Amino acid sequence: MRNDVRDLRLQEGLSQAALATSLQVSRQTVNAIETGRYDPSLPLAISIARHFRTTVEEIFHVDD
Amino acid sequence: MWTTKSPAHLRLAAALVVAVGIVIIVPGWLYLREHAPGNMGNGFLVGGLGALTAFGLTLWRTARHPDRTTTAERAWTSQGDERDDAVLTSTLAVVGITALPLTGAAAIALALGRDTAMVMALLLLAELLVGVVAFAVQVRRT
Repeated sequence: MRNDVRDLRLQEGLSQAALATSLQVSRQTVNAIETGRYDPSLPLAISIARHFRTTVEEIFHVDD
Repeated sequence: MWTTKSPAHLRLAAALVVAVGIVIIVPGWLYLREHAPGNMGNGFLVGGLGALTAFGLTLWRTARHPDRTTTAERAWTSQGDERDDAVLTSTLAVVGITALPLTGAAAIALALGRDTAMVMALLLLAELLVGVVAFAVQVRRT
């Protein structure tokens, strides 16, 4: 699954560590999500969407 | 999530784990020293204290610097987030699956008359090796 987490994070000028702290996950988890190696659970995806004040569908895109 | 427990709670947990471990290890050492063959008692003591020390140090480190810990440290001390748990679950699944053929091979080796201590040591080392490699692979993939 593709996602726009990296772009949104950079738009806010956040580091991976800062976003990780905000989401209460590890920096490695943020990195794994951004690089597409790990698909977050639904609660974490919703937390990410709420952090960026948008919806899950706007951030995560299913590969067709 | 991995940051919900306070450092004070984690330090207390580390101290409790070490205390409980010592309460289990010392009587076990004394019993095996008297009743088990060879140096089994000393091996139990050294192995148990080594594992306990490593676990205690890791838990302590996780409490002091949660942002500097590795996936392995967080996962093995149950302080990880959902990705750490996923990595650990996948690793244990691989170890569980490979344990079946490895144990079968060990049983065949014993049936063929190989030295029991050597076969058991090799079986343990093989499962540890599988665990380490599987963890490293899962960390890179996940």
